[in-house]
Amino acid sequence: MDEAFLPARVAPELQQQIEQFLYAEAALLDAREFDTWLTLLADDLHYFMPTRRTTLRRERDLEYSAADEVALFDEDKPSMVVRVRRLNTGLAWAEEPPSRTRHLVTNVRITDQGNGQYSVNSYFALHRSRLERDVDLFYGERIDRLRRVDTPFGFVIAKRTIHLDQATVLAPNLSMFF
Amino acid sequence: MASFTPADLSALVDADHGLLSPRIFQDQAIYQQELERVFTRCWLFLAHESQLKNPGDFFATYMAEDPVLVVRQKDGSINAFLNQCRHRGMRLCRADSGNARAFTCSYHGWAYDMGGNLVEVPFEKEAYGQVDKARWSPRRVPRVEVYKGLVFGCWDADVPPVAEYLGDMAWYVDLFLDRMPGGTEAVGGVHKWVIRCNWKFAAEQFCSDMYHAPFSHASPVLASLPPDIDPGQAGWPMKGKQFSSEMGHGTGFFMDTPEFLFPLLGETAAGYYMQSGATAVTERLGEVRGVRMNGAHMTVFPTLSFLPGINTLRVWHPRGPDEIEIWAWTLVDKAAPAEVKEAYRKAVLRTFSPGGILEQDDGENWTEIQKVLRGHVARQQPFNAQMGLGMDRSDDPDLPGRIGYVYGELAARGMYRRWAQVMGAQSWAELAPRGLGEVASHG
Repeated sequence: MDEAFLPARVAPELQQQIEQFLYAEAALLDAREFDTWLTLLADDLHYFMPTRRTTLRRERDLEYSAADEVALFDEDKPSMVVRVRRLNTGLAWAEEPPSRTRHLVTNVRITDQGNGQYSVNSYFALHRSRLERDVDLFYGERIDRLRRVDTPFGFVIAKRTIHLDQATVLAPNLSMFF
Repeated sequence: MASFTPADLSALVDADHGLLSPRIFQDQAIYQQELERVFTRCWLFLAHESQLKNPGDFFATYMAEDPVLVVRQKDGSINAFLNQCRHRGMRLCRADSGNARAFTCSYHGWAYDMGGNLVEVPFEKEAYGQVDKARWSPRRVPRVEVYKGLVFGCWDADVPPVAEYLGDMAWYVDLFLDRMPGGTEAVGGVHKWVIRCNWKFAAEQFCSDMYHAPFSHASPVLASLPPDIDPGQAGWPMKGKQFSSEMGHGTGFFMDTPEFLFPLLGETAAGYYMQSGATAVTERLGEVRGVRMNGAHMTVFPTLSFLPGINTLRVWHPRGPDEIEIWAWTLVDKAAPAEVKEAYRKAVLRTFSPGGILEQDDGENWTEIQKVLRGHVARQQPFNAQMGLGMDRSDDPDLPGRIGYVYGELAARGMYRRWAQVMGAQSWAELAPRGLGEVASHG
């Protein structure tokens, strides 16, 4: 059996610290505090959301787009800075007027990788309400690598892989952060 | 049966005066006629050849709302057939892509080989005696053609060959598909997403509308500039041209603006496109296409669009009069260095994809127009497509065909004129790419 599925064995204190970090991050995104949110992203960030394919079981290795294929996000720190600068121009029409978002984070499972690095799986639901009555719903899983740092937030995100549970994205855009 | 006659259609689309009835974007009966007249009669993009490398490789796509399977055969040819079991209409294959030796219907088990021939019927002898297998094979796409790496299909056996269908648009399409020996290849995977708008908003914008870019896409350009540059200097290029085809295709592009793509694509991709790769392209296609044109948008009527240079290819699959599914590919020159291909892979997804910082803002325009058109009053006044009316010419020293200014609606008028012709015609006999001199005589 894949050991990744065993119940996590981490100290309750660490579990609480990391969950609170993820909640703080969600609060920043939902409050549209994107400049502060950027400070939670490590300088060597890799922020990645592959596409999903519907495949037969025997070809399930093809379900997620590979590193050399198209992705929904394949970002580094500078490209995330450009995304936030774009929102700050006041001319990014998909977010101007801004969306109302709610990031729900659950099912947090942590593996301590040593040297202050943690692998953190979490499930998310992202609700976006926009303009008069547009609603988009996204569910999925995030696989983060967090690094402990000496800041008020306590961690930075070095790597985030996002598995969105849609093969065809049922929204006009992905103008929000996951 | 078609309910809108040529007279009805010319009341909806007055291309000579640049007047468009909003009804063409919203009316369910018009949409049904489009499915019958436009989408079964025109060449539609099915796949990039590089997606189907080995025998049995298949790609499930759509021709408008009709699902089709595109399959590489043992002899290297490509077949396409309706993704529907002939027994009771079940979708034959429910995977997006893969490799298969056969397609077996999951309902009652009728099995088809990869050429789309019915080969097995469970309990045939006991239950049927015999089934005429040739007669009960899936509906075959009668015309499939590979044009410079792109696989096209058409339900109408009388359609002219793709090269003839493109006409003088072929010269412009080469800017994307034929820059280098070996042509293009598709980066693996397809972006798929949904926008609640009529397909013609998207097709027309890529055909004709550079005018929206400086305003709709102001933010990514400002955000991509180095922080020390005065945003006031980030003006959009003013030099460029637009081309309109009598077949409804169109393109627009900047000229002699070598710096334009750099902030959007980065040094590696833009440097290749404008500089390191451009010498070979100039030798192959000449100086105009090699180094002078850039930032092009284009649509092959009805629903295939490209941005050469930015290297996205997409199909606007219609889903009713008020919804589209966008399927977008990233193409690269096959001969490009590996680091250029990787730079393009990232540059395209960061600019033109559901999360792309340019693409995001397009959907906002189209969906809000569509919502406004729910109103009865909002549908009564024509839209204005008059930009550059009467200002086009056909004797450009550098460019073939009918040419206008880059910020114009010449190609939009051409697209809607052709749309009305295709909607009103009984067959290809009325639509052949010759003999349209009269209708094409106005901008």
